[in-house]
Amino acid sequence: MDKKRRIQISASLAETIKSLLPELGAASVEEYVEAVVRSHLQQSGHLSAYTPEEEEAVERHLQDLGYLD
Amino acid sequence: MKRLALIGLDCADPILLRELLPELPTLRGLAERGSFARLRSVDPPITIPAWMCMMTGKDPGQLGVYGFRNRKDYSYKGLRIVNSTAFAGAEPLWETLGRHGIRSIVLGVPGTFPPRPISGVLVSGFLAPSTRSTYTYPASIADRIEKWVGEYVFDVRNFRTDDKAWLFAQAREMTEKRFAVARQLIEQEEWRFFVMVEIGPDRIHHGMWAHHDPMHLKHDASSPFRHTLAEYYRVLDHQLGLLIEALPPSTGILIVSDHGAQRMDGGFGINEWFIRSGDLVLKEYPQAPTRMQELIERNLIDWSQTTAWGEGGYYGRVFLNIAGREPEGIVPPNEVEAVLGRISSELAAAPDEAGEPIGTRVLRPSKIYRAVSEIPPDLLVYFGDLRWRSIGTIGWNRIHIHENDTGPDDANHAPYGVYMSSASGTTEDRELLGIRREVLEHFGVEEV
Repeated sequence: MDKKRRIQISASLAETIKSLLPELGAASVEEYVEAVVRSHLQQSGHLSAYTPEEEEAVERHLQDLGYLD
Repeated sequence: MKRLALIGLDCADPILLRELLPELPTLRGLAERGSFARLRSVDPPITIPAWMCMMTGKDPGQLGVYGFRNRKDYSYKGLRIVNSTAFAGAEPLWETLGRHGIRSIVLGVPGTFPPRPISGVLVSGFLAPSTRSTYTYPASIADRIEKWVGEYVFDVRNFRTDDKAWLFAQAREMTEKRFAVARQLIEQEEWRFFVMVEIGPDRIHHGMWAHHDPMHLKHDASSPFRHTLAEYYRVLDHQLGLLIEALPPSTGILIVSDHGAQRMDGGFGINEWFIRSGDLVLKEYPQAPTRMQELIERNLIDWSQTTAWGEGGYYGRVFLNIAGREPEGIVPPNEVEAVLGRISSELAAAPDEAGEPIGTRVLRPSKIYRAVSEIPPDLLVYFGDLRWRSIGTIGWNRIHIHENDTGPDDANHAPYGVYMSSASGTTEDRELLGIRREVLEHFGVEEV
């Protein structure tokens, strides 16, 4: 697990997220913000879904499974 | 409150399931009280893209996803493994329902790693690299899963093994853990739509089919594992029974698969074929079976004389080396149709080693999809109508190959999967691409 570092967001946004947590499904404001930012960066191509080692391992697994040769 | 549980059994086959139903009280009860029909998969009938086609209602061409690994550009080396970002332009069921205030539990659906935030809970499918990655939304669900079942198992590791007892034990553990997680989520989370995919049937079919099927070329009637496939289904049926018991009363139930299964008769060396037809020219023929990608990396393909090459897997993919498209393309654009026609005819007529026809089907993406996006193969090839695997490696010195280039594998995919519903009525064939509409109608949500 990555180390955490403290950042700040506006108090009103944090309060809004906090009030919506049951609906958003996250346990905390931090968890929700991290998930949204991570997903946004992955979907826009700025953050890889896999590390190079993970991608290699997944490809090997798919070859083992017969999906790829 | 209307609820629906959509339970996916990867590779569950309608013929096999009907044969085993007398031993499977949960599934038999559902079939007797509700519906049991065939579900026509997409082309290709492969886990990726099929499950995400079901969830989005879009075909592989619309999604631009034709398999687990796709070309990312027209270079010879540019390939990428699919992950959830490939489906960014399509809205899966849980996201559509979330917009209508309906919370979901999503468990094990292939194509959902990395997880996107949803209204509810999502546990990624087997393309998650490990439990060390962020494989759930919310992330904290992973800690709860570990408390419930210990190390969560995405998939059977090293399933290409002759140790069938080990394979069965792995598949059983994985399935029991996934269903245990499913029951916990159902009981602890707020939800109205539950969807899960159990990958175990697929792994058991590929690993055990020859032991089960007397028609399989490698069947041994005295095998100690001849009943293991059925035993796995009894485990699965028991788990389904526990899950259904845990569902709130009157929850609608759909049990579906992404494709079926059938015995595998052998492998067809697609690139060995192209070498003999003169479509693929090597600078040096390898001494041992070698992957096409490795030959490309080592610059052993003579692209100046190569018309076409193929990729292996459960189905074959053919790519033309087109002038102005590929870096060293030689097929003039105005001859592409003629070349595709010739190759299609030749592959469709390709016989087995005894000279007998095997019934190969060749499909053109532009003819089978509503739209074609990203970079599709120029042809999809079902050798022996998927009774033969496509083998892309080169160095066998023959076309028909009964060893597998990736280890023991007994089964291939079949175009019809399973459709079972707690709603009574139908035995008519259904379409995989119609499941999304059925789920949305259950909740009274209109497709936009």
